[in-house]
Amino acid sequence: MTTTTQTSVNPAAEVLLTDPDELGAKRRFRLRRRSPRPPAGTKIRTSLVGAIVKWVLLGAGAIVMLVPFYIMVISAFKPQEAIIRDPLMISPATFTLEYLGDAITSEKFNVIGAYGITLLFVALVNLFGIALSAPVAYVIARGRSKWHLGLLLLFVSGLFIPGQVTLIPVVFILRLLGLINTIPGFILFETAATLPVTIFLFAAYLRTVPRDIDEAAALDGAGRIRAFWSCIFPIMKPVVATIVVLNSISVWNDFVSPQIILGPSSGIYTVTTGVYAAVGEFSTDYTTVFPTLLLAITPAVVFFIVMQRHIIGGLVAGATKG
Amino acid sequence: MADTVTTAPRALRTTIERRRPGALAVWRGRLPGLIMGGPAVLVFLAMFIIPMFLAFVLSFTDWNGYSLNFNFLGFENYEHAFRNPRTVDAAIFTAVVAFFGTILCNGVGLATAALISGPGRANTVMRTVFFYPYIISSLIIGFIWSAMLAPEGVVNSLLGGVGIPPLPFLTDVTFAKASIILTIVWSHFGFNMILFLAGIKSVPVEYYEAATVDGATRWQQFRNVTLPLIAPVVTVNLVLTLVGLLKVYDVVLALTNGGPAGSTQTIVFQILNDSFANADLGFGAAQSVILLIVTAVLGLGVTLARRGSEKKVAD
Repeated sequence: MTTTTQTSVNPAAEVLLTDPDELGAKRRFRLRRRSPRPPAGTKIRTSLVGAIVKWVLLGAGAIVMLVPFYIMVISAFKPQEAIIRDPLMISPATFTLEYLGDAITSEKFNVIGAYGITLLFVALVNLFGIALSAPVAYVIARGRSKWHLGLLLLFVSGLFIPGQVTLIPVVFILRLLGLINTIPGFILFETAATLPVTIFLFAAYLRTVPRDIDEAAALDGAGRIRAFWSCIFPIMKPVVATIVVLNSISVWNDFVSPQIILGPSSGIYTVTTGVYAAVGEFSTDYTTVFPTLLLAITPAVVFFIVMQRHIIGGLVAGATKG
Repeated sequence: MADTVTTAPRALRTTIERRRPGALAVWRGRLPGLIMGGPAVLVFLAMFIIPMFLAFVLSFTDWNGYSLNFNFLGFENYEHAFRNPRTVDAAIFTAVVAFFGTILCNGVGLATAALISGPGRANTVMRTVFFYPYIISSLIIGFIWSAMLAPEGVVNSLLGGVGIPPLPFLTDVTFAKASIILTIVWSHFGFNMILFLAGIKSVPVEYYEAATVDGATRWQQFRNVTLPLIAPVVTVNLVLTLVGLLKVYDVVLALTNGGPAGSTQTIVFQILNDSFANADLGFGAAQSVILLIVTAVLGLGVTLARRGSEKKVAD
């Protein structure tokens, strides 16, 4: 059932983000619409009312979406009583950098350390995930036997297994391997978790890459592995970018896996587990809560603003193919 | 340069192999494939496939998570899960969250998508505004709203400004349940909206032109052109949201921590609590296996139920 959307959705995602010259089509649409119905005046009035209703609704929606974010930002710079008394405003009299400074230097949540460790995890999971997935996706995309189909089905089945179901036995296996509460153990699990989506998207993409390239590489004397890494992999840039975006978001935001696999005893905190340790029990002290939350989401929001187009396009591609 | 030198002997070798295709030659031909596929398969087996079967095994044991020893209990964990009122309550609350969450996320997502599907700067800005919470970890979304909805929080302070007494958003059972569902909808519908938008954009403009010539209103066009043509996207959205909401955990942990009085504990909240706080991973595994089966049945069920409305379009 998902196959019907696969071909159309991704280019459509690009369309909706880039807003190309669709205006032409729209104008044609308006002209046609008016011509079979002569009393154009009434038509315009109803569409004007419609437009007003639409934008009032959307405006209200936008306020609901943005006000929490705005309040979180300004509350990071205010003392407790100002947050409670006057939540929507910030004045020079109450403005202070004290609490943000406290949050940065907090012993409960080492922000800089958490950024570093989470970024390291994001980088390593991306690296290993792509290094493992790309060759196997190539083998699957080029193979014609039932073994190759079986291999694809094996990985795709991972899309339907909820992570929480495997977490408990994974703890067992990691304990068996002596990797529980260690960074390699966590990276191993997170990397495996990225394989299904990554292989699925890579294999779908590689099917569109002509076999001529493989044959040309073989004629030049390259073995299959060499041909893949030096000829095919460089062509995979767009789909690799999508995967990097998808995997980065999921690793950065993951809370349960680092909390369980790394565990408090390891002393290793990601942004999410660090926030939980810092804010979890002290949720009424807003001078701790808001600056900490602001610090936690700033990298994600900056990443979103910079990568907006790729993020939304990548999520559409990833989700509909899943 | 080195490449061209190796060409001749390699070509020679393959012709010799073709003449006598012994077992060795067959394996040599498969070797690159095995080297390329092997590592991924090993990692995936170790961290996904074997654990899934191990979950069934562990669900029949009293494994505590610390040692590698355990005893087999038979079906005791499963009986416990079905008899335990806490688990049953958590299952009911999870079902409520999944049901209303799926309807609201997709209803609001589809409505906003239909409103802002046109071109233009304003529509693009709206897409970003509605979508951005999806990028933030749901744990942090939970903390943000927990601060907003607290008894002395921003929302109550704003309500006080217009003369409404404080509402128990997180401390009353019904309010807390509604708060969780609405927080999920707030942070998640943007994702559904993006998928719906992609679907709407893929509908050919000619269909709308034809409908306009026939005198169809905008609502009729949406009802009779857009909706049937995006039926596959609707299915994907419904299944993804439903399956995702059966696993809700982070938001609940941060927003209410399961309270008041355990009324907002979800199934995954129970699983992780029983497994790691109470060191009873066998019981946790049994509940996980039940969740896996329910998820699979509901996911397949919705997919098959939607097949009818997708077929209609194909005809």
